[in-house]
Amino acid sequence: MTHKFTTLAAALLASTCATAAFAQDSNVTVVLAEELDLVDPCMTSRSNIGRVLQQNVSETVTELVPGTGIQPRLATAWEDRGDGTWRFTLREGVTFHDGSTFDAEDVAHSIARIKTDAIVCEIGAKFFGGMELTTEVVDATTIDITTDPAQPILPLLMSTVTVVPSETTMDAFLDTPIGTGPYTFDEYNVGQNITLSAYDGYWGETPAVTSATYVFRSDSAVRAAMVETGEADIAPSIALQDAVSEDMDFSYPNSETVYLRIDNGTAPLDDVRVRKAMNHAIDREAFVGTILADGTLLATGMTPPSTIGYNAELEPYSYDPDMARQLLEEAAADGVDTEAEITLVGRLNNFGNVLETMEAVTQMLQDVGLNVNLEMYEVAEWEGLYSKPFAEDRGPMMVQAMHDNASGDPVFSMFFKYASDGLQSGVTDPKLDQMIADATAATDDEREQLWSDAFAYIHEEIVADVLLFHMVGFTRVNERLDFAPSIKTNSELQLSQIKFAE
Amino acid sequence: MRAFLGKRALASLISLLGLIILVFFLSRLTGDPTSLYLPLDASLEARENFREINGLNDPLLVQFGRYMADLAVLDFGDSIRRSEPALDVVLRAFVWTLQLAAITMTLVTVAAIVIGSLAAFHVGGLFDRIATFFSLIGASAPDFWIAIVAIVTISLNVAFIPTSGTGTVWHWILPVGVLFIRPFGLILQVVRSSMITTLGAAYVKTARAKGVKNKSVIFVHALRNALLPVITVIGDQAAALLNGAVVVETIFGFPGVGKLMIDSILQRDFTVVLAAIFVTAIAIFVMNLIIDILYAVLDPRIRY
Repeated sequence: MTHKFTTLAAALLASTCATAAFAQDSNVTVVLAEELDLVDPCMTSRSNIGRVLQQNVSETVTELVPGTGIQPRLATAWEDRGDGTWRFTLREGVTFHDGSTFDAEDVAHSIARIKTDAIVCEIGAKFFGGMELTTEVVDATTIDITTDPAQPILPLLMSTVTVVPSETTMDAFLDTPIGTGPYTFDEYNVGQNITLSAYDGYWGETPAVTSATYVFRSDSAVRAAMVETGEADIAPSIALQDAVSEDMDFSYPNSETVYLRIDNGTAPLDDVRVRKAMNHAIDREAFVGTILADGTLLATGMTPPSTIGYNAELEPYSYDPDMARQLLEEAAADGVDTEAEITLVGRLNNFGNVLETMEAVTQMLQDVGLNVNLEMYEVAEWEGLYSKPFAEDRGPMMVQAMHDNASGDPVFSMFFKYASDGLQSGVTDPKLDQMIADATAATDDEREQLWSDAFAYIHEEIVADVLLFHMVGFTRVNERLDFAPSIKTNSELQLSQIKFAE
Repeated sequence: MRAFLGKRALASLISLLGLIILVFFLSRLTGDPTSLYLPLDASLEARENFREINGLNDPLLVQFGRYMADLAVLDFGDSIRRSEPALDVVLRAFVWTLQLAAITMTLVTVAAIVIGSLAAFHVGGLFDRIATFFSLIGASAPDFWIAIVAIVTISLNVAFIPTSGTGTVWHWILPVGVLFIRPFGLILQVVRSSMITTLGAAYVKTARAKGVKNKSVIFVHALRNALLPVITVIGDQAAALLNGAVVVETIFGFPGVGKLMIDSILQRDFTVVLAAIFVTAIAIFVMNLIIDILYAVLDPRIRY
């Protein structure tokens, strides 16, 4: 217990002596909505962790740049050597913050670590599930990576792999991450702040921001006020009602797509006319600029327009309640029980005004004659209804969800959301399974075309779900900075890209 | 006194044990935390591995037996969320709550006793009416509204008062100020009411008839007797603060135990929830004991 009392006393002292984190000079203060529970580089696919660590402290093998595609980072070149093997040439002259030299052994160790059973690394679970990864170090700056099954998009997948030194433990999460990035991880005062400072030995350009402090406030109004008073410089994820400053608030597509997943296997939702009727029943445009932000796009696919294969020719379903009623009448005439109660499951606190949005959607569906009953759930219960295995006696069900894909490729979405074995798929369609498999295996223009075809098939032919909106996010930026948020701001915030206004 | 303390300790220990058992099983009813910690598209193997690492695959009674065995040596287990001992996480947060509660209740007690006593001396007078008006508003206004209004009206206009956070003495002004308002209103009303009764007592009238000064009548003769019900309410309000001022902690970014408990419940971080309940329950037990001792100090007729 002596240790506990020491902890208590130390915390007491620290809480009274800590210094203020006011924005000043070339230090930048970022106020985040959520505190970091872990600071391990293998968890940077969680947006709150990625915003602090990714490309600031820990760099990835390759880098996905919005609008440009896959770019070199710690790897300078890569080539497909066939049979699922890719060769990556690594950057020379790179050192870790502990002074050790970066080489191929570090990449091999980082890949092994994200797949270890001793800890559950989110990057491994999210991007490398269901595949075997083997590495072969050719020399200090060359590594062969083989995947089974073969991954034609391995260079893209490597944009998620953060590199740690080969001495990093495999058995526990890190509390002081060491990377090759432009900033060192200096200190984490749990509950208060995280500080980073510029790394003198960085291989790239010297950044304008010399240090950064991250603080955490869960209330959007407080975050907005902090930037206004100068206590903070950047506040991502500002709520619509708080984004009232033309000079400081930036809106941008945040890579999130809101949709209603339809359980295609249960009557009456197994009838395509009922699913079409649902799509025609919802007046999507009525939400934009009212309870959702201006700039919100109407969705025709699961991924935002920035992803490859996005099918720009698809039109959102028109708001046509008469058409919806007619489709339901036709289905009823063929013996479909269109009056059966349908449960619409919503997720509380999923995005700003989610409750109002779902109530309006429910009302619109009811107005055309559907017997829809809205139930809103807290995230854990909601997830149990969203992901497989589904309950046998669930009855006809739709689940509202918001899906994030900032990666630029639909592969991270389509299998999970639409394949027969996909964890959150409401569809069982062998043709679609084949389309997804073909697109996943293809490259270049063919890949783009196949994804585009799959989007059209889902939206026009099987009408798998009710696609609603590509969402917009707001970030408040202090006028002393020259920085414009982008779609990547949802998952990372590169301090080295921030300049100071003249 | 020693026998009394022993009895109270035993009763508290039994209550604490019951509380731990209840919370252990109730928290497990809220579902499997796996889906909250892993991405939605995590494979079934990854999910199974997570459950295995965190001991969630064992039958509930086995998990309970293991937990109680560890608890017997004051090992609360590791936080799933933070990968560090749950007790360390809780103690770190509890320090902030303890400071917030101590500062707030000290200010509230002094202000409510002084103003409440003076208001009771001239019932219906201008001072009484003003004090009653503002105390009723204070007791009724919701914390979250006052907090946001305080930030918008004060922090945005007064440069040296920060909106939120910790670090300097100025960071305490808004949280303490907001937390002060409600218990101040409530306790002031109790002080006023208790003092009105006491000031009407025969021994106070006698003191006045003998020419004792008003200040002495109020703060020496009447106040001590009027304080018994006030202390009960102060204890009640302090207990609420020790449980964590969730709204104020959340809005002002104060890393206290209330916000920690709510976050841990939402994240199904069971070990932290139980450790937080253990620590706050001990604190409340100690505080109640102090209040019992204060009763005896204030009223010599009370003996244990």
